[in-house]
Amino acid sequence: MLAWIAAGCATVQQENGAQRSQFETLVAPHRQKAAELAAQGRLREAGNEWKVALTIDPKDSVSLEESKKIEEQIRQAVADRLARGEDALKRGVHLEARNHFLAVLALDPSNRQAFDALQTRVRDVRQINHTVRAGESLASIAQFYYGDRSRSEVIWETNQLPPNPKLSPGMVLKIPEIPGLPFGRPEAPAVARPRPEAPATGGTKPETSEEAPYANPALTEAKEASEKGDYVLALATIDRFLGQNPRSSEAIDLKRTVLFQQGKTLSDQNKLTDSYAALNQLAKLSPKDKAVTSLLTSVRGRLIQQHYNQGIRFYREEKLPEAVAEWRAVLQYDPSHEGAKRNIDQAERLLKGLQARQQKQGR
Amino acid sequence: MKDHKRRLWIKRAALCAAALYLAGCGAATQTSITPSTEEKSTYETFESQDYFVVIAKAGDTAASLAARFLGDKSLAWMIEDYSGGATIAPGQQVVIPRKPWDLSGVSASGYQLVPVLCYHNLAPQAKGRMILGAKAFEEQMRYLKANGFRVINLKQFVEFVSLKRQLPQKSVLLTFDDGYRSFLQYAYPVLKELDFTATLFVYTDYVGAGSNAFSWADLKKLAAESFDVQAHTKSHGDMVRAANEPAAEYDRRLEAELTLPKALFQKNLGYEPSILAYPYGRQDDTVVRRAKERGYATAFTVRRQGSPSFVDPLRIHRSQIYPEMNLDDFIKNLNVFSREEIK
Repeated sequence: MLAWIAAGCATVQQENGAQRSQFETLVAPHRQKAAELAAQGRLREAGNEWKVALTIDPKDSVSLEESKKIEEQIRQAVADRLARGEDALKRGVHLEARNHFLAVLALDPSNRQAFDALQTRVRDVRQINHTVRAGESLASIAQFYYGDRSRSEVIWETNQLPPNPKLSPGMVLKIPEIPGLPFGRPEAPAVARPRPEAPATGGTKPETSEEAPYANPALTEAKEASEKGDYVLALATIDRFLGQNPRSSEAIDLKRTVLFQQGKTLSDQNKLTDSYAALNQLAKLSPKDKAVTSLLTSVRGRLIQQHYNQGIRFYREEKLPEAVAEWRAVLQYDPSHEGAKRNIDQAERLLKGLQARQQKQGR
Repeated sequence: MKDHKRRLWIKRAALCAAALYLAGCGAATQTSITPSTEEKSTYETFESQDYFVVIAKAGDTAASLAARFLGDKSLAWMIEDYSGGATIAPGQQVVIPRKPWDLSGVSASGYQLVPVLCYHNLAPQAKGRMILGAKAFEEQMRYLKANGFRVINLKQFVEFVSLKRQLPQKSVLLTFDDGYRSFLQYAYPVLKELDFTATLFVYTDYVGAGSNAFSWADLKKLAAESFDVQAHTKSHGDMVRAANEPAAEYDRRLEAELTLPKALFQKNLGYEPSILAYPYGRQDDTVVRRAKERGYATAFTVRRQGSPSFVDPLRIHRSQIYPEMNLDDFIKNLNVFSREEIK
């Protein structure tokens, strides 16, 4: 008659060789899995495996030792990430705080402090700004970013738009990431997925897609600088990041967005030369983007007109060298500008005439 | 005698495990259950505070093991979700968690999402944007059933977003807005057949107001049948302040939208609603703050995405299901996991 020993769990009755051998067979897969998970940094899951091993053999010294070790590692990591999360919140870097608090819950899924922080104190920060282009609707924007027109409700709700809103070109909309969906890749499908921990039975192959945009704090800082209108700082931050990560699609996308906003803002402020420089840089990154081309053409046209008119003003004031300089500037933007060429010819002839007259008088 | 002892042990184990789960999902200390010798001869079983480890026999399923060891076959998902599969072979080691192990649904690979689906009116044929055809609805419900989704009730969902309950990985919450009586004819029979439940958000001006409106008696009967009935304001007006709306007027309007339903629910159903669905999903900080002040602990928008456990409880997302959606479109609203490497 075998007697089950209650206190502390288990089933170990006699530690004879046969029984230990049986335990070894049953415990071995859990030991192996625990070690693999720990090596991957999945401490909680590793800890669970050691607990399962100890359920089978509560006196297994390896499991006891490793289990304690993992628990201590988890305890330290949780304390560290909580402190770093709180610090990030104090600094107002919400995305970083979010990552720390999520990491705490991944280690300790019932951690109340991290949960409450995520629920009540961490803002929803994963979003980008989209400047509406002519002909766009919420549905078409949703299709572009999420691959699903019906997600327009998310954009509508995020931007607190009235029912059936009318979009106008130039309007800036916040486009948030939707958890569980790829972001910014129009072709990406959205389907229910099994948990990644699940073994191959019926599971979907894990995606190798890139992570959501702006996961890096540097890019978050750049985004925040851009939202405050500090485009120079934003671009410098992005360029620094690209120096380290030249193929980062998130950074390139963000740079496009910032350059467009910078170009548009400067254009609105009539700082056309700077606007043109930003948009020209953007056009090299997005040569097929019609909105960019359209804005660039518009700014270029205004710049040409501005320099041309300024040349006329100088001419009327008999400041011929200045007038010529303005019309030459026109030709930089439009080498075939007939009016500028004609005026330059005329002004230069006059200048030559004047110079010849001055020389005669000098003699 | 042997049979008696075995039944006794299983009953004790089942009741204890179920009680611990229902009482607070793992917060309680675990009581060790001592299996009898006879039981060991029946099942090769190991147990600790956290787990049973069982060597499966021919014919065992997650449901049969959940019934035997957790006292409730509907907890089969705990076995399936823990091991990542539903198939159990004879001789296989099966780990049966005795308490929730993942309350927040967050892991190193990402986090759990619960889709909340939002329906309105149903009719034999679809019409416009808000009347869904009965056949399409039935097809969607059968899809959920056939694909292992578990329709949870509102209380379970609220506990999930309060870190008090672990939910099955493929959980879904069904909601019906406004208070259309067509629910009884087209949704109720399907839901009953599939053993699904749902939450009804009604605006009180509409209750009893027409041939397709629920009466209070209808709602009382449904509430008694474990359907949840909660508030959708008084008049279904946009709760966000309108342009040029005088402050005092808006204040009175908002107050009426939030408090009058409470009195009517109390009078007709015997309880005050504590959960709100914003009309059109529209809210802002003012609306949210006032809803909270008036005793609404949880509130729903219509932002089309699933909700993690740590969602703002006063801005929970819902996905509206429209008649023009085909089954593939419907399935897009069933994301149950947000993959994100959490380091």
